[in-house]
Amino acid sequence: MGLDVRLVADQSAIQAEAARPEAGGLHIVGRALLGNRKALAGVIILGIFLVLAIIPGMLAPYDPHAQIFAQTLGPSREHLLGTTGNGQDIFSQLIWGTRESLAIAIIAGLLATGISLLIGVSSAYLGGLSDHVLSLVTDVFLVIPTLPLMIVLAAYARNGGLAVLISVIVVTGWSYGARQLRSQALSLRNREFLDAARVRGERSGYVIVFEILPTMTSLIVANFLGVALYAVLAAAGLQFIGLGNPSDMSWGTMLFWAQNNGALNAGSPLWAIVPGLCIGLLGAAFALLNYAFDEITNPALRPVRRRR
Amino acid sequence: MRYLVRRLEFFVVTLWAALTLNFILPRLLPGGPEVALLTRFHGRIQPATIKSLEVALGIRNDQNAIQQYLSYMGNMLRGDFGVSLGFYPQRVSHVIMLALPWTLGLVGTATLIAFLLGTLIGILGAWRRGGILDSVLPPIFVVTSAFPYFWIGLICILVFAITLGWFPQAFGNSSEVTSELSWTFISDVLWHSILPAFTIVLTSIGGWILTMRNNMITTLAEDYIKMARAKGLSPTRIMFQYAARNAILPNLVGFAMSLGFVISGALLVEIVFNYPGLGTFLLQAVKNEDFSLMQTLFLLITVAVLLAVMVADFLTAWLDPRTRERG
Amino acid sequence: MGRRRYAIIGMLAALAVLVGACGNPSATTSTPSTGGTLTIDNESGTLWSCGFNPFNGNVNFLAFGPIYEPLVYVNLLNGKPTPMLASAYKWSSDSKTLTFTVRSGVKWSDGQPFTAKDVVYTFNLIKTNNALDLQSVWSVLSDVKQEGSDQVVMTFQSAAVPYFYYIAGQQPIVPEHIWSKITDPVSDNNPKPIGTGPFTMGDCTPQNIPYVRNASYWQSGKPYLDKVNYPAFLDNDPANAYLASGQAQWGGQFIPNIDQYYVAKDKANHHYWFPPIQNVNLFMNLTMAPFNKKEVRQAIAFGIDRPKVSRIGEYGYQPPGSQTGIVIPTFNDWYDSSQAAKYNYKFDPAKAQSLLQGAGFTKGSDGIFKDASGKKLSFTVLSIAGYTDWTASLQVVQDNLKQIGIEIKEQDLSHDDYFNKLFNGQFQLAYGSLSTSPGPNPYYELRNTLYSKTSAAIGETASGDYQRWTDATTDKLIEDFGSTTDSAEQHRIMKQIQGIMLEQVPVIPVTESVAWYQYSTKGFAGWPTKDDPYAAPAPWNIPDWEQTLLRVHKS
Repeated sequence: MGLDVRLVADQSAIQAEAARPEAGGLHIVGRALLGNRKALAGVIILGIFLVLAIIPGMLAPYDPHAQIFAQTLGPSREHLLGTTGNGQDIFSQLIWGTRESLAIAIIAGLLATGISLLIGVSSAYLGGLSDHVLSLVTDVFLVIPTLPLMIVLAAYARNGGLAVLISVIVVTGWSYGARQLRSQALSLRNREFLDAARVRGERSGYVIVFEILPTMTSLIVANFLGVALYAVLAAAGLQFIGLGNPSDMSWGTMLFWAQNNGALNAGSPLWAIVPGLCIGLLGAAFALLNYAFDEITNPALRPVRRRR
Repeated sequence: MRYLVRRLEFFVVTLWAALTLNFILPRLLPGGPEVALLTRFHGRIQPATIKSLEVALGIRNDQNAIQQYLSYMGNMLRGDFGVSLGFYPQRVSHVIMLALPWTLGLVGTATLIAFLLGTLIGILGAWRRGGILDSVLPPIFVVTSAFPYFWIGLICILVFAITLGWFPQAFGNSSEVTSELSWTFISDVLWHSILPAFTIVLTSIGGWILTMRNNMITTLAEDYIKMARAKGLSPTRIMFQYAARNAILPNLVGFAMSLGFVISGALLVEIVFNYPGLGTFLLQAVKNEDFSLMQTLFLLITVAVLLAVMVADFLTAWLDPRTRERG
Repeated sequence: MGRRRYAIIGMLAALAVLVGACGNPSATTSTPSTGGTLTIDNESGTLWSCGFNPFNGNVNFLAFGPIYEPLVYVNLLNGKPTPMLASAYKWSSDSKTLTFTVRSGVKWSDGQPFTAKDVVYTFNLIKTNNALDLQSVWSVLSDVKQEGSDQVVMTFQSAAVPYFYYIAGQQPIVPEHIWSKITDPVSDNNPKPIGTGPFTMGDCTPQNIPYVRNASYWQSGKPYLDKVNYPAFLDNDPANAYLASGQAQWGGQFIPNIDQYYVAKDKANHHYWFPPIQNVNLFMNLTMAPFNKKEVRQAIAFGIDRPKVSRIGEYGYQPPGSQTGIVIPTFNDWYDSSQAAKYNYKFDPAKAQSLLQGAGFTKGSDGIFKDASGKKLSFTVLSIAGYTDWTASLQVVQDNLKQIGIEIKEQDLSHDDYFNKLFNGQFQLAYGSLSTSPGPNPYYELRNTLYSKTSAAIGETASGDYQRWTDATTDKLIEDFGSTTDSAEQHRIMKQIQGIMLEQVPVIPVTESVAWYQYSTKGFAGWPTKDDPYAAPAPWNIPDWEQTLLRVHKS
């Protein structure tokens, strides 16, 4: 699995180097991303899934819910990945499932990053007692074990659907980022440009939003990627053990149905293999981007190219 | 000293938060434990018996919320977790003791292996920048870490248990072997643990490699390493005694924390392999609406993490004097 | 996960579902040899607590049968009794007194003799401790006492012939010399059970219960098996894979695509048989509009493609239900095929729509019918979270009903919440089975489904008749059935009840749940089969599994 991605990454990297776009208009981060093979692989995977998520109706051959085919068919031209134990088309389910899986990752990623930012940066900027309390809260959430908490929360709010799933992930996922952002903000706190802003008499909110945040872009993006990866895995896990809404169409619920119908043994292994593969690929896309970000923001980590 | 006080404050607050969360959550439910109880024993039990069951389960309708909260806190601090609804009439503490050794054994060992192996690969990778360990392995493990634990477990079962038949696909030991301290039993348990342990190592090793490698790279740039090189010390000595020793500090804290997470971390792996550990019990408690067991498991896992963090904290403070100053 | 309900329903359906049959226990020509270890494979959804209190509905399916035995084993299909701890029994002419003769020469597994005193003790124990009376036998009994050395006389409040099944067949008998020393029999764990049965308890662990052969069992020479292992499975799939690999020989759960998953792994030896036992119904809340209209109920009955629900939702293993309420083919003997043919409830959208139009509903532009006030026929149907077969079934029903202009939406509830709402009548539609188990003929299920005295007002807890069907004629028929021992009369009454089911449609049977049963003939023989159904075949059929364990032997 890992090897395949690697190969794809290498080829695309070569092409990318051959036709490097002009720097004009592109943000520095963006350019750095395209120059990094791992990042490029991540971007490509993410891009493909984005397309699937936006126009599933144009790509999927059938209604993913319709139980109208023979059960547990193998792959064929009519059914590229065969059919489920309930007579649905697996390929269509996979395409339609992209939307929810991706949505969970992005929405949860954004929300959690937002909370991390709010708490982390205010904590660092305000200092004193506020910092003490906010840091304490962050540390508490950092230590409380997330997966059991998620399971317990989801069990209590059974059938809450997507909103509950996302809330649970956000509640359990924001603290790590908050801590990182706080330290970063802390290191910025006494920089000259901030002193200048204070001297100008700007309010704290203004300083935080317009002076501090822009300098932290890369960490914020990295944090978003981290939470998105976490969200992909967490949502899949919760849905897999039946704590999602089984009528939803997502990769996690596909796995839930596949597992409940013994897909691996009952003659439709693709039903279980393919959604897991997609979850892994989406997760890998976020992880690769995150890894690349580490390299970009920390030059020491960049790959060493041996001379030929 | 100030550092110590701050950490203690943190531990107490976290413990309190977890306890309170546990108290509030079931009471937010429509019905909650009372409905579960009434439905389960519906029509089969006299009101008086239900009363006594309620008392046993810690449901006290004659008290107001604050009284309930106080008596709940009292029970928890005394270690009285009540009766399990799913394993009725057994006590929660008894049920948990059945599962604990399995989880500690399987997940503990697997985490230790992942940590040692991952750290070693990280050290070597950073030492030889651009080598195979540095350029090929990290990205691969970044990708494998992105796959869900349980799915890797499922694929392992499909390939190694069902198709090839090399390993058992379920359970912690086979029913034919009696549980006693004998070689047959131990080897049987080990044999059953290989596949789930492999799954955990495969999905968690990536993190160790990356953090160790990155720490090493940062450390290697420090002046004292250059100094050591200039002095002509042997590379192995520099690598392990100078660089790795310092670079490992953050990883050590991470390891202590993850030992706490051990109980929860591989929860889904246990479920997939029908392994009789805490994760399996937690899921079962959730499905059977066994609130007392569910809450106690959650509490236990939180306390374990707290303890591990505490140990890690003091270990770091002891190994790295700078921490004590920072506060 | 979906099919674990029989195991986890626990307290609710403490008496498991039984399907016996008109088996002929013909003696085999040669006595089978003793030995062998059989492994049971039944997803229980729990690790074992190693408690065997036979009065605890959570665990009695592990204790009642091989360890604690009933007075009489009742074959469910024809009510055919096999004497166990009672060697004989007799009804008085007014059907109000039942006298058992207790078998002599039976010993408890600790060597103490079993006597009539133990039987009297057991019944008085569950009288004093109401929580132990899982079958509510004291709702009809008035007295149990010993007469002579080996007679136990039971007096009834009124004639309640069908209760014989619960009293003789579903009540485990416990030893007085042990249980009289237990301070709290309700919460006692009973880790080392002492019974009269063919097996005793070995070294139990959370993962496995070993049943060990009781060499001094009263049926000499039996059981044939040395040991029976009962490992704990939390999920269907590991259990199924274990069974398919041949590590276990006796399965009791749903296996998807079973011919490929299970049979194909060992075509010569892997077999299955799924006798239907109970209806899976669509309950309609009859206290609210529009379900108080007969035409609407009939329309829905015509608007469900039962064969398709069976095929898609249940892989065809659970057959389509019959609107007569009779579980066929198991109870074919009671089935009124001519009446059923007259009504002919097959999927017929045109007929369903004309019924709705006839009842004054008009079709809206979205294709959904509206009542006179303009309210759409749009309802929520309750189901249980994790019962994926029900969800899959309901997706078909939803699609069917949409075609006749009725909209339904599934709402999954937790197990306890679902039954709470069902009992209290707080639903529009609900999908599922009775929480109580059926018995050796259709009367048991239909009584609990239709008898208004088991019902209750909305908001109050009903023990049966969740849909609140209140009809004097039905009640009278059910009472008459319970007070007669005349089979012809019972059949006549059952035909009338079927008439009500067909005309009034108080409830809609959609599919029939079955006793899941897989068995391997590799190394073992003597299994119950379709042709020799001497016991209900699933390992969770209590106490029937004792009969199976008494017959199965090494081959």
